[in-house]
Amino acid sequence: MLKKILSKSTHVFSFFLLVLGFWAICLNLSNYYVPKLLSYGIFLSLILAFLSYSASSGTVFYCFKRIIEAFITIFVIATCTFMLLRLMPGGPFDEEKALPPKIKAKIEAKYGLDKPLAVQYFDYLKKAAVFDLGTSYKYIGRSVGEMILQNFSVSFTLGFYAFLLSFLIGIPTGLFAASKHNTFWDNFAMTLSISGVALPNFLVGSVLIVVFAYQLDWFPSALWDSSLHYVLPVVTLGIRPAAFIARLTRSTVLDVIKSDFIRTAKAKGLSPLAILYKHVLKNSMIPVLTYSGPLLAGILSGSFVIEILFAVPGIGKDLVQSVTNRDYPLILGLTLLYSVLLVISNLLVDFLYSFFDPRIRLGV
Amino acid sequence: MLSFKNFLILLFICLTFLLNACVKKDTSGDFGLPKSKTLRMRLSGEPPTIDWHKSSDTASSLITSNIMEGLIVFNYTGDEVSLAPALAESWESLESAKKWVFKIKKGVTWSDGEPFEPKHIVDGWERLLNPETASPYSYFLYSIKNAKEYSEGKIKDFSKVGIELQGHTLTVSLKQPQDFPSLLTHSSTFPVRKDVVEKYKDKWTEPENIVTLGPFKLTKWIHDQAMVLKKNTGYFGIQSRTENIVFYIIQEAQTAINLFEMGKIDVIRDLPPKDLPALRKLKEFYTYPNLNIYYYGFNTEVAPTDNKFFRRALVHAVDRQQIIKILGGDQKLLTGWIPHGMFAYNPNVGLAYDPVRAKAYLKKLGYSSKNPPPKVELSFNALEAHKVIAENIQAQLKENLGITVELKSEEWKVYLETLKVRPANLYRMGWVADYPDPSNFFDIMLSYGENNRTKWKNLEYDRFVEQASGLVSNKGKRLELYNKAHQILVSDEVPVFPIFTNVAQHLISSRVISFPTNVMREFRLKNTSLQ
Repeated sequence: MLKKILSKSTHVFSFFLLVLGFWAICLNLSNYYVPKLLSYGIFLSLILAFLSYSASSGTVFYCFKRIIEAFITIFVIATCTFMLLRLMPGGPFDEEKALPPKIKAKIEAKYGLDKPLAVQYFDYLKKAAVFDLGTSYKYIGRSVGEMILQNFSVSFTLGFYAFLLSFLIGIPTGLFAASKHNTFWDNFAMTLSISGVALPNFLVGSVLIVVFAYQLDWFPSALWDSSLHYVLPVVTLGIRPAAFIARLTRSTVLDVIKSDFIRTAKAKGLSPLAILYKHVLKNSMIPVLTYSGPLLAGILSGSFVIEILFAVPGIGKDLVQSVTNRDYPLILGLTLLYSVLLVISNLLVDFLYSFFDPRIRLGV
Repeated sequence: MLSFKNFLILLFICLTFLLNACVKKDTSGDFGLPKSKTLRMRLSGEPPTIDWHKSSDTASSLITSNIMEGLIVFNYTGDEVSLAPALAESWESLESAKKWVFKIKKGVTWSDGEPFEPKHIVDGWERLLNPETASPYSYFLYSIKNAKEYSEGKIKDFSKVGIELQGHTLTVSLKQPQDFPSLLTHSSTFPVRKDVVEKYKDKWTEPENIVTLGPFKLTKWIHDQAMVLKKNTGYFGIQSRTENIVFYIIQEAQTAINLFEMGKIDVIRDLPPKDLPALRKLKEFYTYPNLNIYYYGFNTEVAPTDNKFFRRALVHAVDRQQIIKILGGDQKLLTGWIPHGMFAYNPNVGLAYDPVRAKAYLKKLGYSSKNPPPKVELSFNALEAHKVIAENIQAQLKENLGITVELKSEEWKVYLETLKVRPANLYRMGWVADYPDPSNFFDIMLSYGENNRTKWKNLEYDRFVEQASGLVSNKGKRLELYNKAHQILVSDEVPVFPIFTNVAQHLISSRVISFPTNVMREFRLKNTSLQ
């Protein structure tokens, strides 16, 4: 009975998640600010859907174990990053016009850099445990948490649409190519996708700017303002994963098509489309899912090249610049964010495995 | 029981109501400001802070110099730089420039409507010197009596510092004579509203909190994206001719150039060297000299550059004109330590290109084809423009002296660290004037100068420079002392190898009228207007 309720509530929360998510996307694309309430709603339904799913499938203990593991991973990453940063030559307050030593010492003391390394490390851990990531050394008075929150929302928007786009293009293309195996269309789609994988971002971006901004004047060439500004960076960011997903989908679909249950489905007289979408696709998703875990984390945490090329205020360029500036708190904050994203997306992917292929049992 | 279909309908109705509560973004471009009244400029990076007591970079100073004003401003007429009153009505020196008296303007108001009081200047200076502020520019006022002691925490009582305020008269007592007013053009000496700083703490520079008194007001700061300035109608000086300025933060120069060509931004202040040949042909391209030097320093403690004749040989063997030609030809050749257009500039000092003399020096040191000169290490920070110059020097030294030069490029902060610990035989550096006075340049090479990375110490040089900087009223004597120091620095001892003075290169749209172009690279935009 309880299991039934839980499974029902998983459906309800997932449904909520979809409706609210869809609504947020509509608002965002029609240049409205997404209300905070809506973002909280989405976040809450995601958590609730996840919890009820794990409860109904009896994987609460497994989840708990994964979360503990995640904390250990993140702790190790934080420690390694902290130590590696201090091994890097050059400090945050070294400038071309050298500061008088006494002034430099004063500034370093202000940020606690005069204390022994061990003290600095424990101070940092204590603060990080309560989500206080400190203030930036370079951008005076701005807290790292605030900076990450602000720029992550931009990177998230860009990455989310690119992720969506890569699936919307990649999977149908892969299916199409597989269904037209060894024909002109298959070769055509795969040539396109291999170029998509091979072409570097900055080249694709530059070509898109020349064609769609310069020549046709359909989209702005840079800056981050209305949803029209999203188009070129999203396409540039989405093309490579789309091409990769197309290739992955095609190869697994070709494998699955040869399996016994597809022959059975054909023998039952199902329509080719039904076979393709209901049986083949669902069973071909495992490799794509495996790929999409790290992809999601990577794509959401921003892309340096695209942010620079299109002047997008995201966190990808923050990560690179914080290293050049030796802005320790910002580097640490962003590394932690990336690790958290990676851990969460991998966890999500593991759950989706068991959804797509019930033979995979979590925690058993 | 609510059916699923009805539930869906209800949900959508609720969400539609929610739409009313949603706020639409203003996407009409340039934050809804009319293009005809808005100057749009590129900022190459987010300003680290616009707190004028803490900032030390060009992006920040571009903003502060437009929203704030100090006691005195620079006045540019051609290449001449003079001082003009701003918050100070007038000033005079007493005791042969050891004491300065400033009369402060009345009737000035801050952007929040509060009247400006002379005490705000003293507050500003106190904040600059206060050890709590940890300002990188606190040494700017170290010439004031007891200022250094206060800044280092040796004196706790600020009233002991040589600053005295009586009504609207500010008297400053210095440790030794100095051209003090020219320091007061710098943003670190601007007044501040301590009540605002104390109220909002680190957040006082956000547009909703900040209180200023310059020709513009900061109205929007979307971090990493843009800053918007609006004309300050309460400004005490001549009202600005432009209504709004939008600074877009665009790091990549090529992206900015794209936007410029599409008419989305009006001014780009820094251009990538690789694009210069193409950009130079545009009618929107502007170039003019600045007060700065591009030089190489010698590590005078390691062989072979510990020998001054060897150093002289290296300098004589490099044709600076070749380097300038590679860079496009705008730069001005420099054999001395002081850039063109500054007092004490001397074109006849220093070592010019003379490979015959260079070889003679090496011969004197006992080097010949049988006993070839040792390898020389040359380092620079990894940037394309620096690499091109380093490679040219490498080729010239090989050709003219047969010396093998090993190039070493390092990432910026690593490079700075290496310079502190053990600089290469030859290392690249530069200096941009903080104020247009030769002392700003000669001070670098003092034995105890933090920026003297050559490890070269010369007491005679120190004496000349220290004496000269105190001689404010006697220009003739001052020039004489500087010439002596100059001679030691770039002709005799040669711990440094000046190469050229760099130039500013901008793209300025034809709709922008009278964009400021001056030797100090100050961009006060109140006189700029739009067509």
